[in-house]
Amino acid sequence: MPKVSLFIPCFVDQLMPQVGLDMATVLRRVGYDVTFPEVQTCCGQPGFNSGYWNDARPLAERFLRVFHDAELIVSPSGSCTTMVRVFYPQLLQNTPLQNDAEQIGRRTFEFSEFLLKVAKITDVGAEFPHKVTYHDACHALRELHLKQEPRALLAAVRGLELVEMPFSEECCGFGGTFSTKFGMISSAMGDTKAGNAAKSGAEYITSTDPSCLMQIEGILRHRKSPLGTVHLASILARSAER
Amino acid sequence: MTTTAQEFLRKAAEKSADMAHRQIIRKNMDSYDEAVANGRSRFQNWQAAREKCQAIKREAIEHLDHYLERFESAVQARGGKVFWAETGEQARQYIVDLAAKHNVRTISKSKSMVAEEIHLAPALEEKGISVFETDLGEFIVQLRKEPPYHIVTPAMHLSRAQIAELFKEKLGGIDTDDPEQLVTAARTTLRRAFFTAEMGITGANFLVADQGLAAITTNEGNADLGVTLPKIHVVIAGIEKVIPRLQDLAILWPVLASSGTGQPISVYNTLVGGPRGTSECAGPEEFHVILLDNGRTDLLADPEQREVLHCIRCGACLNACPVYRNIGGHTYGTTYSGPIGSVLTPHLRGLNQFQHLSYASSLCGACAEVCPVKIDLHHHLLQNRRNAVNLADRPASERFAFKMWRWSMGSAGRLAFFGAIGKFLLRALYALGAQGTALDPLRPWTKYRAAPQLPSKSFRVQWREQNAGR
Amino acid sequence: MPAAENSGRAAILNRVRAALKTPAKVHDSPGHVHAGPGEIFPPIGDPLERFRSECVGNKTELIVTSSFEASLAAASSILAESQAGEIFVQDAPELRRAAAQFGAGRSLRWSCDGGPLESTGVTITLAELLVAQYGSVLISSACGGRGASVAAPVHIVLAEIDQLVPDLETAMQRTYDPASRNSYLCLITGSSRTADIEKILVMGAHGPKRLIVILSQS
Repeated sequence: MPKVSLFIPCFVDQLMPQVGLDMATVLRRVGYDVTFPEVQTCCGQPGFNSGYWNDARPLAERFLRVFHDAELIVSPSGSCTTMVRVFYPQLLQNTPLQNDAEQIGRRTFEFSEFLLKVAKITDVGAEFPHKVTYHDACHALRELHLKQEPRALLAAVRGLELVEMPFSEECCGFGGTFSTKFGMISSAMGDTKAGNAAKSGAEYITSTDPSCLMQIEGILRHRKSPLGTVHLASILARSAER
Repeated sequence: MTTTAQEFLRKAAEKSADMAHRQIIRKNMDSYDEAVANGRSRFQNWQAAREKCQAIKREAIEHLDHYLERFESAVQARGGKVFWAETGEQARQYIVDLAAKHNVRTISKSKSMVAEEIHLAPALEEKGISVFETDLGEFIVQLRKEPPYHIVTPAMHLSRAQIAELFKEKLGGIDTDDPEQLVTAARTTLRRAFFTAEMGITGANFLVADQGLAAITTNEGNADLGVTLPKIHVVIAGIEKVIPRLQDLAILWPVLASSGTGQPISVYNTLVGGPRGTSECAGPEEFHVILLDNGRTDLLADPEQREVLHCIRCGACLNACPVYRNIGGHTYGTTYSGPIGSVLTPHLRGLNQFQHLSYASSLCGACAEVCPVKIDLHHHLLQNRRNAVNLADRPASERFAFKMWRWSMGSAGRLAFFGAIGKFLLRALYALGAQGTALDPLRPWTKYRAAPQLPSKSFRVQWREQNAGR
Repeated sequence: MPAAENSGRAAILNRVRAALKTPAKVHDSPGHVHAGPGEIFPPIGDPLERFRSECVGNKTELIVTSSFEASLAAASSILAESQAGEIFVQDAPELRRAAAQFGAGRSLRWSCDGGPLESTGVTITLAELLVAQYGSVLISSACGGRGASVAAPVHIVLAEIDQLVPDLETAMQRTYDPASRNSYLCLITGSSRTADIEKILVMGAHGPKRLIVILSQS
């Protein structure tokens, strides 16, 4: 069986572990041997995004070591995948690891991207009989160019009705430390996202990015909205088999 | 934190909570989005159009000295004068001296962001000269004594009721909120100014090197009156406005309009070079072009960020930016707002004082997606942040926090340990009712949103449990 | 300006040259396209039909006639509709011939006598070119001087079919003037407008409320 290595973002490990477990479940179901390099920690994105490139660099170097032998690396996060594929080459430019940095991006995938482009599968045998709307997470959309892939997966889920929200591509307002440094702007953006999601008539909002979902969930609960959030992996993990 | 940054935070908080403001801006942006969608259909291949415009600007900027010299000779061949201003101060002084020499009492001005950048109008008004902004939006904010809210639609934040009230008070003889009548009132006042002004000052969207022409785009036609009626016409523009050829306008004009307002092309695309020709019976006797540096050569010297000079000031990035949509143009407190302003201002006015603008972004990338000359604006924000950390003042607590972060993420054991301890403490504090209070360590988060779940078992613990023996 | 009086010139050029010694870090995305003009815009079909439909869209009033004489007659009847303000006319031989028709009972001024006045009601000019792609009129200072197209509430343009070019690329090629005779050119697409008040479109901001193109097919 082909092997995949799980790349579990640090905050998924600590705050949303079920997302990682659900992704592993689906990967197994579609025929992959799933491993989890336990020594992994963080891709370095928080420091990198805040301008602390010298502090992020050792973590990038560490990531390259941890995943050195992994043939296929899959992550339930568009932003973390972006960090590796798009930003590692910049962060490690003019260092001995520059080539490795450029190469690892070619074997690191966001989860929906992996299913469509590598596993070449859209129907993963899932069932989720609810109305769901999809939030286009910014990195997944604009850096990884994923738009149809998550939607194709959702379309194949039994019982799931996919409804589009207005301005699905508009940022939810998370942006890493932006969410706390500029909380008032972040929450206004989140508020707009929650309002637009409500207009879709959906029961659940889903996305490729757990950080977006954490932001949106926080806003929804604050607004006492009936809407819920659920990660794409968790939808796909709900098996259709009884 | 500098006072500029504190002021920004204060105004951002105020505006973000202002639902009336949010609705006005939303309505304007929806209208813009619709127009742009229509305008896009004019292009068979929009991506190719962007690449062509990027190539033109790149050629101009990468050979800037050559094209500036070419432009200068072409203008001089037409009988015009070129003044190279290193600073805003030099540019202002040149214009003030010119106005004094010719006893100028009234100036008609057509929209120029550069004139805003160097605070030209106050310097002239100090000398007792009346300066009339002739672009309607600029005229409105001038009456309100506030800066433009947006580089293309300066009065976007105002309702017609507010404009009606303003005109009633400042112009007199008008008491209606009917847009047609308001425009007529402005037109009448400004028409008088046009016909009496001794000097016309305009910006330029482009400076055409091979023909020595300033290209000025409007929908109202105000620039055309401004370059015809006064005895002296002054163009003030940044050095980065130069483009190689007249031919380049065949793509730049439609792209500028399409991105700026969604129109296929603006109504008046004017080209002016030199004072009036010897066979011409109307037009200025003198033509001056002021080429302004004011920090642009510093940006030029940064090979990573040089492309920021490709900007054609269309305003599309402002319109696409969800941060801008919530805080509005005035909150930035700078001449150039929105994403381009956040990228540019630290270079033009200092990293220390303006680094906060580069941090006030979720890096969503919508700006780069819409930029017609393909400037990777969101990546430049990241670079500004890196530069801020390496070269400017960041809070000591932040530097320390990231050192701690780097150390704790250096091993899986430390990550697991600190993660578990952190969640344990939070759960304990929350059990005591601390969530959302001053004792809540997550207060910056919980002030606006519910706290995230704090699962007791991390992924790696559960993985180990579920996969024991595999 | 003598070089000594503008020290900024040398300073700026030196800084530019020093900066450009290092080439820019270019990072083009994969799939970078180098497109010719034909690929960016869809081809223009019949230029006259395209010009016609664009004028509808940009609110230019278009009258197509069979001859220049018929055009002059059409212009005269437009003038007769409203008697407000003096008429300012480009001093061209073709238009001088029609002076009597235009000037009947009106005060008429020729462009060689100076620019239009604050009280000018209508301007009449020829054009350099018409551009089908956007329904535009290209005017220069040779067409009645600067301001002839913008100063009055009504601007009438008299043009002939062989002045119609399909697109802006062609128009700019034709406009390129190595001898730089015209100090002023303007590509006019529709009549003056503003949307600065609540994005509501209002016509006739500073320039004409009405742009009328009378195009003769001969």
